[in-house]
Amino acid sequence: MSNPARIVTRQVKPLLSLNENEARRRVFGLYKAWIRQVPFILQDYDIPKNAKDLKMKIREEFNKHRTVKDIRVIDMLVIKGQMELKETVEKWKNKGALMFYFKDTVEPKPTDFMSKFMNGTD
Amino acid sequence: MLRLPLFRAISRSNGRLTSAVCFHNSAANQQQPQQQPELIELFIDDKPVQVPPGTTVLKAAAMVGVEIPRFCYHERLAIAGNCRMCLVEIEKQVKPVAACAMPVMKGWRVKTNSALTRKAREGVMEFLLVNHPLDCPICDQGGECDLQDQSMAFGNDRSRFTDINFSGKRAVEDKDLGPLIKTVMTRCIHCTRCIRFASEVAGVDDLGTTGRGNEMQVGTYVEKLFMSEVSGNIIDLCPVGALTSKPYAFVARPWENHRTDSIDVHDAVGSNIVVSHRTGEVLRILPRVNEDVNEEWLADKARFSYDGLKRQRLITPMLKIDGKLQNVEWEDALVAAARALQDLPPNKCAAIAGCMADAEVLVAVKDLVNTLDSELLTTEQEFPKSGAGVDLRSNYLLNNKIANVEHADVILLIGTNPRFEAPLVNTRIRKGYLHREQNVAVIGPKLDLTYDHENLGQSPDIISQIKSGSHPFCEVLKNAKKPMIILGADVLTRKDGDKILAETQSLCKNIEKTVKTDADWKVFNILHTNASQVTALDVGYAASLEEVKKAKPSVLFLLGADENIKKEDFGESCIIYVGSHGDNGAQIADIVLPGAAYTEKTATYVNMEGRAQLTNAAITPPGMARPDWKIIRALSEIAGHRLPYDDLHELRDRIAEIAPHLVNYGEVEPSNFLKQVYELAKTTQGSFLPDPIDIKQKSLDQFFMTNAISRASPTMAKCVQAVQKQKQV
Repeated sequence: MSNPARIVTRQVKPLLSLNENEARRRVFGLYKAWIRQVPFILQDYDIPKNAKDLKMKIREEFNKHRTVKDIRVIDMLVIKGQMELKETVEKWKNKGALMFYFKDTVEPKPTDFMSKFMNGTD
Repeated sequence: MLRLPLFRAISRSNGRLTSAVCFHNSAANQQQPQQQPELIELFIDDKPVQVPPGTTVLKAAAMVGVEIPRFCYHERLAIAGNCRMCLVEIEKQVKPVAACAMPVMKGWRVKTNSALTRKAREGVMEFLLVNHPLDCPICDQGGECDLQDQSMAFGNDRSRFTDINFSGKRAVEDKDLGPLIKTVMTRCIHCTRCIRFASEVAGVDDLGTTGRGNEMQVGTYVEKLFMSEVSGNIIDLCPVGALTSKPYAFVARPWENHRTDSIDVHDAVGSNIVVSHRTGEVLRILPRVNEDVNEEWLADKARFSYDGLKRQRLITPMLKIDGKLQNVEWEDALVAAARALQDLPPNKCAAIAGCMADAEVLVAVKDLVNTLDSELLTTEQEFPKSGAGVDLRSNYLLNNKIANVEHADVILLIGTNPRFEAPLVNTRIRKGYLHREQNVAVIGPKLDLTYDHENLGQSPDIISQIKSGSHPFCEVLKNAKKPMIILGADVLTRKDGDKILAETQSLCKNIEKTVKTDADWKVFNILHTNASQVTALDVGYAASLEEVKKAKPSVLFLLGADENIKKEDFGESCIIYVGSHGDNGAQIADIVLPGAAYTEKTATYVNMEGRAQLTNAAITPPGMARPDWKIIRALSEIAGHRLPYDDLHELRDRIAEIAPHLVNYGEVEPSNFLKQVYELAKTTQGSFLPDPIDIKQKSLDQFFMTNAISRASPTMAKCVQAVQKQKQV
């Protein structure tokens, strides 16, 4: 592939941020907004969690995407995070939807014969 | 000889009914009359139809897809014509006629939906309902009741019945027909189907009517048990709720049950059944129509022993610890079993197949035992190894097929009581006896077969006498056109079983020489009693029980084998029992691995004529029980001899490699090597033992409990009790 074409494909329209610094600022902004909302979430939703649990979970959710480098992807994730926050703040979510963040890890179903036999699943 | 019930014989002599009308035949086996008579044309609702003379209006209507309502008419029973529900108008006839009994005439125009017909039906319906209680909400027939359905379809929408004198409706005392059939005789509409079934098919003339008109009652005259091995069928036949199933009383409604098509495994007939189930429980078992096997009947053991599926079940693996069987986890049981299988010298691992083992587990066990360098595979009911042994299928099948039994003109039963060993083969013989003047003779003890037969004696020497021509029965055989010899599988377990087999085969060869039979008519037949037997022999369970005992195996697999196996014979063996019920086999086992019963697995069974059929899993196995072949597969992996199949499809591919006909479901592979079988039979040496030929199941009480499931069934126990009590009277 020729060089000019590759340049053209790489120069794409930004979503919001023009550089990494700006994207980083947006992420921190969202993170702070979430943390500030924690006491109100506890007030609005009757969930068996405390402030520390929620902060840990928020941190965990952000950390899930710490390896993302693409500015456009970061922007997209920030927008999604804002939508989630909005839903939480406005109490559009119900209790179960919020608790979905704390769902236990699901064990994958066994696929080999012996594990299926021992489990009694077919 | 007058063999037919009287009313049938009379109607026949009047020439009103031909044999084609009287009873039902599967099309393939229909005997062609010498000349094809001219067809008659008539019109049903202006639709033209051509039928042979003697056909009834009802049958002619069925041919063009017009169903005429009926209560008393049943295509497998004689015509009674007493319910009058099938009245139809025929143009230019004054009165409506009963379609079920009226033979057609040329050019008739039958109107099945005219004003007159509808009015006639409405009238009949009204009269029936005047004397029928309105207890549909508490009636077990509700939802599958012909009277309910037809009163909705053809009855009036309002009642003229007002009980002005407050005298109540007609009421009839209930009868006690035994532990299987519940009667509410007030609901009876006098269709007499049960009476006709009892006298024609079951051959037990216990039921009849007393009184006339409004006083008429169906019953047994004196209070007694309905002593038949196929009694449950009158429940299906009864169009109303007069006869219902006692064990199923008030259990469920038909519309809330799930239905799974399956195969019965209590005998080797392979009757087609429907398993009704709900919430993981089998609620009842009904027959499914298969013209080539069970028509639409079902034996009582198959129909009512389902409560044995819930009792005495093995639900966890067990290990013998400190001389006692104790519940353990699957891991522990499988590791213990695998340890026993380590470092076995050749021919130190054996397997005995029980009477309800399916093809899947038989193949899996055979593969496992063969990888352990052993050939010690046998069935609990032995089959002689001499002659053709298990190498040729013709040597151990009911070669002539079950459906052809009724077409035979002479039948010789040797050491078998088909009435209890295979009730639905016996109904075929009875059919042949009634309609085709069949001659039946028995070598064995005195039996009640529900039809007249000649008892030739009990000595096995009689077979040789017939063969040499010195026995008077030879005359009958000589004049036969379609003779059949049916040999019981149980006599072959005698010490001289191989000799009996060989002698019978050479007798059959002689008969085939003297009587010119059709090429596809097979004289030699074996009647099996165990559902697994043909499969096991097909797959190659060829060793004898004696060989297995002599080999002193270190490990012995029992695949649901409960009969003839004693702990003393296998003193040093580690006995691994794979099966569904805690019966004799599990008691003597060191390791018990809980398997699935026939309603809980998708499995292949081959019936006595060699027809492979499939059971379907209606419910899941209880507790920690697993489908049998999976247990063997799991054990093989832990023991380090992994069998190369993980699911049913791969296993079926393996089965097809061994025996392709085992996965060709519903079909019978023709057995064509009888000539070679007869040749090989000549090699058998030895002589007869002096002891007479005996049969295990001689009377009805011996019929009900013959395997692990029926032994665990309380209903079957009640039946045995009831029959024994009846005998004392």
